[in-house]
Amino acid sequence: RYVRQLQRLQLLFSPTAADARGARQFVEEEAQDFARQHPDVVLYVSPHSGPGPAPVLRAEYLNGTVRDELIASKTSEEIVQLATKLANQSGLDIVRIRKPFHTDNPSVQGQWHPLTNKPSILTVQGPRLQPQ
Amino acid sequence: MVVLSAARWLRSRLSDRFWRVQEVLKYARHFRGRKNRCYKLAVRSVRRAFVKSTKARREKKRFLRALWITRIEAASLEHGLKYPAFISNLVKSQVELNRKVLADLAIYEPKTFKSLAALAQRRRQEGFLAALGDGKEPEGIFSRIVHHH
Repeated sequence: RYVRQLQRLQLLFSPTAADARGARQFVEEEAQDFARQHPDVVLYVSPHSGPGPAPVLRAEYLNGTVRDELIASKTSEEIVQLATKLANQSGLDIVRIRKPFHTDNPSVQGQWHPLTNKPSILTVQGPRLQPQ
Repeated sequence: MVVLSAARWLRSRLSDRFWRVQEVLKYARHFRGRKNRCYKLAVRSVRRAFVKSTKARREKKRFLRALWITRIEAASLEHGLKYPAFISNLVKSQVELNRKVLADLAIYEPKTFKSLAALAQRRRQEGFLAALGDGKEPEGIFSRIVHHH
């Protein structure tokens, strides 16, 4: 069963700032629909009064990563798209994956070493090998 | 009064120059010399580094293929076969393994690789018999071709 990796979305904005207009529109119009479509994500709306930091959409994931996305001077639709993108992500950091595969046991028959294909006299040590 | 553009004597000055510079310098941090600290030198170096990394993607494929071929050659020589004989006989026996997989087998599954070398050797002998024997002997077992329809 699919478990959504996004835990909560915090919408931090100031109700009087000019660049938070899209955030305010999002809260008025589309926040409820978004919350209904994503029932396993908790949406917190925390307006801080007065001049403060830029409006930010903070996403927290189940593995603990916190991702902040600026929503200053963004329209309501763009914020909805951003929120859905964050909701579909997992909390893994976005780095280039060097290889698309990984094994803990790469070798089943035993990894090659310079003595694998040599006669076993070179490896075996025992009393029988002493010259008579 | 509606003003469409600012007056000529009003200048706008950059306030986030630090972050614009850091965007470039963060890719130059592991360079040698002053180009990991000084922006003017770093811009050139970072641009060249990106261009080289883009172009090298084509070379990487060639380089890795050559590496695999070297490894397969070394492994098959351990079993007494040269690389062209090994590869051609594997292909004739309809074993469609690419060089990457063969190199990984040679490293991590030496017994499998030994059996593949033995298969190639057997197919080689059957090929010689078919070419030199000329006729009355039946065809070799490993020379039979399976048709998938």
